[in-house]
Amino acid sequence: MQKGFTLWFTGLSGAGKTTLAHMVEAELRRRGCKVEVLDGDVIRTNLSKGLGFSKEDRDTNIRRIGFVCHLLSRNGVVAIAAAISPYRAVRDEVRAQIGDFVEVYVRCPLEVAAARDVKGLYAKAMAGEIPAFTGVSDPYEEPLNPEILVDTSVQTKEESFKVIMLRLEELGYVPKAEAEVYSEDEEEEVKRRLEELGYL
Amino acid sequence: MGLLDFFKKAKTERKVVLIGLDGTPYTLLKQYIEDGTMPNLARITNDCLLKQMDVSIPEVSSTSWTCFYTGCNPAQHGIFGFLDLQPNSYKIYFPNSRNVKMPALWDIVGNSGKRSVVINVPQTYPAKQTNGVLISGFVATDIKKATYPAELLPTLSELGYRLDPDAARARESKEAFIEDILDVFEKRRRTILHLFEHEKWSLFIGTVTETDRLHHFMWDAAVDPNHKYHDAFKEFYRRVDKLLGEVYERLDTSTTFMMCSDHGFTKIEQQVYLNYWLKSNGYLSFTSDTPKSIEEIGSNSRAFALDPTRIYINLKGKYPQGTVSTGEYERLRSEIADGLLSLEHNGQRILQRVFMKEEIFRGPLLEQAPDLVVLSNYGYDMKGATNKQVLMDTELFTGMHTQDDAHLLIGRRGTARPSIERKPHICDIAPTILKELDIAVPPDMVGRALV
Repeated sequence: MQKGFTLWFTGLSGAGKTTLAHMVEAELRRRGCKVEVLDGDVIRTNLSKGLGFSKEDRDTNIRRIGFVCHLLSRNGVVAIAAAISPYRAVRDEVRAQIGDFVEVYVRCPLEVAAARDVKGLYAKAMAGEIPAFTGVSDPYEEPLNPEILVDTSVQTKEESFKVIMLRLEELGYVPKAEAEVYSEDEEEEVKRRLEELGYL
Repeated sequence: MGLLDFFKKAKTERKVVLIGLDGTPYTLLKQYIEDGTMPNLARITNDCLLKQMDVSIPEVSSTSWTCFYTGCNPAQHGIFGFLDLQPNSYKIYFPNSRNVKMPALWDIVGNSGKRSVVINVPQTYPAKQTNGVLISGFVATDIKKATYPAELLPTLSELGYRLDPDAARARESKEAFIEDILDVFEKRRRTILHLFEHEKWSLFIGTVTETDRLHHFMWDAAVDPNHKYHDAFKEFYRRVDKLLGEVYERLDTSTTFMMCSDHGFTKIEQQVYLNYWLKSNGYLSFTSDTPKSIEEIGSNSRAFALDPTRIYINLKGKYPQGTVSTGEYERLRSEIADGLLSLEHNGQRILQRVFMKEEIFRGPLLEQAPDLVVLSNYGYDMKGATNKQVLMDTELFTGMHTQDDAHLLIGRRGTARPSIERKPHICDIAPTILKELDIAVPPDMVGRALV
C-alpha cells in the first residue's frame, strides 16, 4: 500500500498554496495515490467554523487541520493541507504529531501577493477593514528549514509544481514518474500508427 | 503426499485458454457458424456457450482490453483511450502499460504461484515482468521492450513473429494490405501454438488483432457478397477458424476454453467530428485554422473532445486556460449533451446516448475521466480530430466499433455447455477466469464471475 504522509503548504494569502495543492493532488492521483486536500479557506467554513483570527483561534484551526491530516496519513492517504499557518510553533507541533510531514514553504513577497490580490483581501486589509491580516497587520513566521521551498514570485506555477514533485520523489514519498517509455522516434511511430487507424 | 495423490492433483489442475479476436462481433461469428465459414467454431459451440457481450465506454481497444485484464472500471485502471492529456496541460501522451493502475489478471494469477502465457493483448506495452511469458500488443513498437522474458526473443525471431500489420499498406493497395495481414496472422498463429506446446502455464491468452485491422479498412467487403474482396475477407476468418480448431483439439476436460473480443464492428455511414461540432457551436476555438492537436486550443474555449467519444469541460484550475467555473459546470454539460443529442443525419439521430461521467465511471480516477462520453448509433463513427472543416465525411475506413456486439465464448471440451442468463460485460471476464482457476477474486474488481 502507498505510504501516507502530510504535505503541508504554508505561505501568505495569495501565494499560490491552493493552486499548487490541486496540481500536486491531480498528479498524485494519476500516479495511483489516494489523496485528500484540506484547504484552509474551506476548513474555516466547516471544521473550524466560528473560529476567528486571534493567535489562539489560528492555532486551534491549525491543530484541527493537523489532526485530520494525521488520521488520513496513518491510513495510507496523502493529506495535503493548504493553509497560511503563520506561526512556526504550531506548525512544528503538527509536524511532531504526524511524523511523515513534508513542509512546503510557498514563498511570495508581500508586495507581489498584495499586487495579485486574487481575493481582494489585501486592499481591504491595507484600508484597515480586516484586522489581524497576515503579512499586513499580523506576523508570518517563515519556516526555518522546510523540506521544500518554492518561490512563486520568480517561478511559474508549473516550475514550482515540478520542484515539489521531484523533491517528493527524492524523499521517497511518491512513486517516480514513469521513465519515458517511448523515445521521440518511437512516439512518432505510435502517433503514425494511431493515425493510420484514424485514432488521432 | 503419496504418488497417487500427486497424480490426482496434477490431473485435476484447472487451466484456462482464451483466444482474443480484436473487434470480432458476435453477430459475425453467428453468421459464419451458420453459413459454414467457421466449421471448427460450430463444433466448439456444441460444448461452449457463445454470447453477445457489452464492452467498455468508450468502446476502444486500449480501454476495453484494460477492462478485460483488470476486471475494473476505467476510473480505476486509468485508461480512457489511446491518448490522454498530461495533468494541467493540453499536451497529449500515449498511456502505456505503466499507466495502468490496477493489477493485471496474469499478475494475480502469478501471485498464486501459477504461470501465464499472454500474447498480443493491447495496452500491455512495454512488457512488465510477470510469472510466465508476455508479448505486448498494440501499440507496441519495439519487440525487445515488448517481450518478457528477454530469453524468448531468439524463439520469436525464429518464428518470424511480427507485432502488427502495417496499416499504411491499406492506402497503397488492398491486396498488399491483405497479404500483410495474412503474413502477420500466420506468424502469430505459429507463435501461439509454439508457446502453447513449449511453455508451462495455467492461463494462456492468445490475441489476434489482425481481425480489427481488416475490419477497419474492409468491413464493406464483409457485408457485401458482391464485393471484390468478400471472399478474401471470409478466407481470413477460415484461417482464424483453423487456429481455433488447432487449439481446441489440444484441450482436455479440465481446461476452460474462452474466446472474446473487445468490441464489435459495423459499417460506417459517416465519420462525425466532435471538435468541429464544439467549434461551430461556439464552445471551442483554436489558435490556427488547421490545428494539429488540442494543444492549439484558443482562449475562451469551454469544451474540447478527445478521440473517439470523449468530451472534456475546460475547467478553471484543471486546465491552463480553463474558463468554466464549477458553478457553470452542470449547466454547460447538460447544454452540450442536449445539443449533441439533437444531431441528425438523413432524418436519423446520430447519437444513442450522452453519458455524464458519473453514470459510467466509478473509481478514484473519476476526476481524470472525460466529463461526457457519447455513444453513437450504428453507422456514425465519432472522431476526435481537430483539423476538420466539416461535421461529417467519409475517409478510407469502412468499419467502426460497436459497444454492444462483442462476443464471449466459454465452456469445456466434452462437457455440457454452461448457461449464462444475463448479458456479459467485458469486466466479467477477469473474475470468471480467476474463479475457473480457483483463485480468489480481488474485491476491487467490478465484474462478476459468469459461471
